[in-house]
Amino acid sequence: MIKEWADRLFRWYCHPDYYPDIKGDLEELYNEHLQGNARIAQYRYAGDVLLLFRPTLIRPITKNSIIKDTGMFRNYFKISVRNLVKHRVFTGINVIGLAFGLASFLLINEYIRFERSYDRFFTDSDQLYRLTTDQVVDSVLGTRDAMSFHPSGRALVEEIPSILNYTTTYKFDEVIVRKGDQLMTEKKIVAADSNYFKLFDYEIISGDPETMLNDPNSLVLTESKAKAYFGDQNPIGETIELLGRFQRQFQVTGLIRDTPENTHYKFDILMSLKSIQDRLDNDGWNGFNYYTYLLIDRKADMEKVREQMPELSRKYIGEDSKLVFNLQPVEDIHLYSDFTFEPEIHGSAKSVNFLVIISVFILMIAWVNYVNLSTARAVDRAKEVGLRKVIGAHKGQLMFQFLFESLLVNLVGALLAIGVAELLLPYFNQLIGKDITEHVWNQPEFLKSLLVFFLIGTAVSGFYPAIVLSEFKPVTVLKGKFRNSKSGVLLRKGLVVVQFAASLILIAGTFVVFKQVNFMQQKDLGMDIDYVIGFSNPGYSRDQREEMTDRFKMFKEDLKNHHAIINAGMVTNLPGGGSSDISSTSGGVRIVGMTDRLEATTYMMWSDEGYYETIGMELIGGRYLDEDLQIDSSSCIVNEAFVRRFGIYNLDSVLNEKIMFGRDPDNDKYPIVGIVKDFNRTSLKKEVEPTVMFLWERPSYTLVKLNPQNYQEGLAHVETTWSKFFSNAPYDYTFIDQRFERLYQEDKRFGKVFGSFSVFAIIVAILGLFGLSAFMAIQRTKEVGVRKVMGASVFNIIAIFYKDFLSLVGIAAIIGIPIVYYAMDSWLDNYAYRINFPWVLIGLAILMIVLFALLTVGYQTYKVAIINPSKTLRYE
Amino acid sequence: MKKFQLGEFEEIVLLTVGVLYDEAYGVAIKQEIERRLGRKVSVGAMQSALRRMEKKGYLSSREGETNAKRGGKPKRYFNITAYGRKALEYSRDVRTELWNAIPEIAFDVKMA
Repeated sequence: MIKEWADRLFRWYCHPDYYPDIKGDLEELYNEHLQGNARIAQYRYAGDVLLLFRPTLIRPITKNSIIKDTGMFRNYFKISVRNLVKHRVFTGINVIGLAFGLASFLLINEYIRFERSYDRFFTDSDQLYRLTTDQVVDSVLGTRDAMSFHPSGRALVEEIPSILNYTTTYKFDEVIVRKGDQLMTEKKIVAADSNYFKLFDYEIISGDPETMLNDPNSLVLTESKAKAYFGDQNPIGETIELLGRFQRQFQVTGLIRDTPENTHYKFDILMSLKSIQDRLDNDGWNGFNYYTYLLIDRKADMEKVREQMPELSRKYIGEDSKLVFNLQPVEDIHLYSDFTFEPEIHGSAKSVNFLVIISVFILMIAWVNYVNLSTARAVDRAKEVGLRKVIGAHKGQLMFQFLFESLLVNLVGALLAIGVAELLLPYFNQLIGKDITEHVWNQPEFLKSLLVFFLIGTAVSGFYPAIVLSEFKPVTVLKGKFRNSKSGVLLRKGLVVVQFAASLILIAGTFVVFKQVNFMQQKDLGMDIDYVIGFSNPGYSRDQREEMTDRFKMFKEDLKNHHAIINAGMVTNLPGGGSSDISSTSGGVRIVGMTDRLEATTYMMWSDEGYYETIGMELIGGRYLDEDLQIDSSSCIVNEAFVRRFGIYNLDSVLNEKIMFGRDPDNDKYPIVGIVKDFNRTSLKKEVEPTVMFLWERPSYTLVKLNPQNYQEGLAHVETTWSKFFSNAPYDYTFIDQRFERLYQEDKRFGKVFGSFSVFAIIVAILGLFGLSAFMAIQRTKEVGVRKVMGASVFNIIAIFYKDFLSLVGIAAIIGIPIVYYAMDSWLDNYAYRINFPWVLIGLAILMIVLFALLTVGYQTYKVAIINPSKTLRYE
Repeated sequence: MKKFQLGEFEEIVLLTVGVLYDEAYGVAIKQEIERRLGRKVSVGAMQSALRRMEKKGYLSSREGETNAKRGGKPKRYFNITAYGRKALEYSRDVRTELWNAIPEIAFDVKMA
């Protein structure tokens, strides 16, 4: 055995001129050694073979080298190139199809890689967990909240040894910053404790990571913020003033690199957590408004750690609390977390998966094109194959030849794909709204995938044609009695069906996405947000309260007096915000005397009396709150959803009843004086939030309803009035309908990505169909001629061809529709407010496919059908 | 003044081919060297030396008879060419010259 292998190796590498006699020597020695132990003799033989591997004795590389048959190689190359050049259309369709298919596939892959790269760049990213809070009522999981109590991090580190470290952070909505006479609104400020950089090891440019977040009133700036405030000057030790609730100077103690795009928790400025000590003291174990991150030992048994959570929650939050600690891997947050109060609009694993499917579809369609076109063209190559076989080529060689040809086509396609991807990249970045990369051609990851999928593509697309083409029997083929095999035709039809089905799924899917997005933008929100603008009010300190109350009142009066302004009101949160833009309580709520305590999240808003009309709410029963009524300072109005959640459907019956939060019977009770129609404060992905609204004189946002006729005048007036009243606060308004638009940005983007790549897929599929129908039409030229002689009209002939293709579209529809239904219906289920499955649009998609097919096939058939039969039937 | 290139092992192989005269083929050369010099010779080292010297023109070769012991493969017999002989003589002359050039004293010191 060993000897055989050694011998085979020796024969392979040995110079053929030397082989016989050296082999003879080896044999002779072996036979001599055989007198001893046979095994040892074999080993000695193998040893000798290994020692014979020397430059003087091995085959030369160039001629008769280890790689055999370069002569045939050259021949294959020549024949392939000639064939490809001769059939330009065929080559063009394949190359373009492959280039577009590969380019879109790889671009989508880049995007997916980017989406999956979130938060993986920290040294210990696999050990980082976010502590979140679940609401569990009767062991049913309720609202899942991304935030946690601020002392819980420390508590868990003390209780569980495998939890190594924690950091507590607080995210501000916005803070107004003053530097000199410059005012800026910072939207990405996070307060963090001094552990922060131990968990999240951002690159620190200057400052001591251990201590720079130690003292109150310290700030750590990112590079670009430092540049914005201090230019090229060293920011360390400089001060800037934070307005609003702070009204004091902060010192810059550190400078770090900007947070990258691929983290779920982005910030421009870090503040030391001690700067908000008053807030921490106030919250304690009462309010969970913090993002807490834990570092957990890699060796820890996560199951065991999780098991301890319910018990520890009871210990710290309270025996009968419904809140339970939960641990969530940081790496999973971006794609998999869908909790309330997420720090940013997150990605979705589902859309990423959808994109994977789309990209695979496109690539598949391109490969199918190659398989279809090359097998359809088999007739052209049949004689060549026959002749090669007669001369002595065996099957393996022929297969190799055709695989080589597919390699060539795929190679050209792959090279072109780099160019296509490079050209598409700017549009692609724009489409997905993220700059994943500047170039693709210098991305090793991209090139690696390109190489891999080029090779896979060569094998996948080349293998079947190679088998088919190399199988021809020379006798039949050279006699000229050649027809495409039945099974070959069947397979080709099957592949066309697959292409049609894939195109149908993509077109229909695109339609569904657009329809849903459109629906969300058009749906009645229970509010009238047209020509309503919103902006944040200036902050104030504790002792400015009285003064500000008056000033706000005068400001509103001044606005309302203008003829271009219909109304003005103030509220704690602007409509059209994210899920975290509102206050809520999970402490349980009841309608006193009517219901038991309901353990569920209730949302709370505070506004002045002008708010209701400004935003166009609709009153269903009772009345709005009135600032002039003393009693209304402790009354409330609720929305329908709030009442219905108690299982009460006679809405008016709750009027003048009182609601109470929490369990202590001495807690404040608020009479319900009005019920408003449900309104969608945030994205329609979410159900209407059961909301209670109270009166307040100094909420943080102002809403102004402008007169549509002369709203520009109104805008100007708001601005001048603002500078009259609040000259030292920045004024920055947005239209509320634009805020809602922004909520659907991700969905719209998804629709656009879906749509664009569907178009690609369909173009590639149509290219293939174009080529295929051309070959089929040419092959049936004689048949067409005979039919015409017998009296068939051009129309009859086209109809015959149509019948074939339409039945394929039919089968594709039967396969495609259930898939579209299943996939898109489950996608629609992500939305609290969704459209019914739009069957009409599916019909439209099928119609589109039919139209494309008819046009493509019709064109090719027509070209053949109009030829005079005297030309087609002249020979034979 | 490097006229002939001849390594130490090559020289031994070349001389052995001469010793065996008409019987110099792979196995015989290998065994002769092993017997006379009492050292192991690998087929690889020897064959590559033989082929190298054949290329340089020190050796010529002819195909010989075959037998069952060799698995039906022919022997290849090597002969020293005139050029090879010159190379050997040159090598020997250089050594002799060197020997003669060693002063007596050098040996004395060594013996002392």
